[in-house]
Amino acid sequence: MRAKIAADEGGTSAGPRLRPRGSVIRTPRVPRRILPLLFVVPFLVIIAAWVLAKSAFGVSGAALPSIGDVIRASSQLIDWGILPYDVAASLYRIALGTALAIVIGVPLGLLLGTSRYGVIMFGPFLRFFRAVSGIAILPLLIIWFGFTETTIQVAILYTALIPIIFSTMIGVRTIPPAYRDAIETMGGGSARLMRDVYLPGALASIVVGIRLGVGYGWRALIAGEMLVGAGGLGFMIFGALQFHALGQIVAGMILIGLLYLVIDRLILAPVEDATVRRWGVQRG
Amino acid sequence: MTARDRRLRHAVLMRALPVIPFAVLLIVWAVGWEIARPPLITLPSPLEVGQTVHRLWDSGQLQANTSASMYRWLLGFGVGVVSGLLLGVPAGLSPLIARMVEPVVSFFMAISGIVWLPIAIVWFGLGTPTVVFIIWNSVFFLIFANTVLGVRSVATVLEDGVRTLGASRVHVITRVLIPGALPHILEGLRSGLGFGWRALIAAEIIGASTGLGAMIYQAKEFLRTDVIVTGVIIIAAIGLLLDAGLGLVERRTIERWGLVTEGARTR
Repeated sequence: MRAKIAADEGGTSAGPRLRPRGSVIRTPRVPRRILPLLFVVPFLVIIAAWVLAKSAFGVSGAALPSIGDVIRASSQLIDWGILPYDVAASLYRIALGTALAIVIGVPLGLLLGTSRYGVIMFGPFLRFFRAVSGIAILPLLIIWFGFTETTIQVAILYTALIPIIFSTMIGVRTIPPAYRDAIETMGGGSARLMRDVYLPGALASIVVGIRLGVGYGWRALIAGEMLVGAGGLGFMIFGALQFHALGQIVAGMILIGLLYLVIDRLILAPVEDATVRRWGVQRG
Repeated sequence: MTARDRRLRHAVLMRALPVIPFAVLLIVWAVGWEIARPPLITLPSPLEVGQTVHRLWDSGQLQANTSASMYRWLLGFGVGVVSGLLLGVPAGLSPLIARMVEPVVSFFMAISGIVWLPIAIVWFGLGTPTVVFIIWNSVFFLIFANTVLGVRSVATVLEDGVRTLGASRVHVITRVLIPGALPHILEGLRSGLGFGWRALIAAEIIGASTGLGAMIYQAKEFLRTDVIVTGVIIIAAIGLLLDAGLGLVERRTIERWGLVTEGARTR
């Protein structure tokens, strides 16, 4: 089981080698120095289209807020202290949900992964529950726990838990048996095996699972906040719908995107890279 | 015991093992329910769920809601896949464009799906158009990003080889780059399928009055956990069936052409 495991299943993926420049269609040569800056172009195009839609085609404020509306809404929300409160609520929820999912999911995944039969036995079971999304069980959770913090927390925990268990389990299975045999030959017990082989060997996979879990969990969080209505960014943009405050909705959407990118790219991705580099037994 | 017996026993064991957790869950649920006898507003018994399936089927609600959901999903997923491929292939051909659009695509992927719901409701009102938009939105960026990656990761050797033999650009694109990108495209389809299905349920819960998502959310108003649990099981089953269908496509195409990676085969 070398090579690449689909991101969906967790497991470390070897980055594909990308095509060098211009073979089938010619692209204009761009000086090296400005190449990294070109990413702003699509954003500028979107902003230009937005401005154009407002000014030239006169799309009304009831359908599309102007950029000014969005900025005004953001500064208002900050002034009123709503935005920091909602951001803090969402971040706290995703952090707590993920932490709980790691504490429960990693040991379970390690346990299931140590036996070949464990994977065969629980693979389909986990797949079934992966198909039951956290959002789909929200109605049930609302009946059980009401419109409370607990409902959102359980939805995030459940959503993040499955990919973490799955990835951990697969991660353990992909460790070459030679490492285990070596420790066992030298008389290492199962605790030793867990600490020195399974955990470090599966670590890269575990981090991939955590990253997936946070990605799924983030969506469950936003959906949960929309339905439960106990603060948070999902509640903020959904609540704004009632007042038709489109500036606030778009400001919230941008913030949700940026926050997720910060969590995923600036926190989780570097951890994943470092783990794969240090413990990734799968390369080569 | 002969070797053949042992092989047979092994095969039976392999088939039986995956059933065990489901069976245990069902038994714990049935027995636990008999002992605790919780009210229906807490948890239905497995028997009640079975009866509910029957009842919903007889009244035609199940078929109506399932077909409403499937119709929306097919529409949103179909348009998402076609638009993702149509834009993804050209973008993948140009390394410059591919690099340029990567951050904007990442951003839209970060807010894909459910996050658009409030503004989609403003634009399209409650109902099918909003739900389809949310599904399209969840699917498009995944397909687009994977197609770009797929086209870019085709080995240049293959392309050069065909071109040395005098193939035209169109030929290179249709015969080398698109088939070569297929493993990545199918991976995009697989994630898109899951994300689209999940987004559908979320969008229906909030933004529609028909469909499986709406069915389970309305059941919540009347504290009908039997309908919710039934709906959840059906939603999961359809999701798994769709995934299995794609697996079939994978076996017919990339596995047969020997393009599949070892990891994908172990699923």
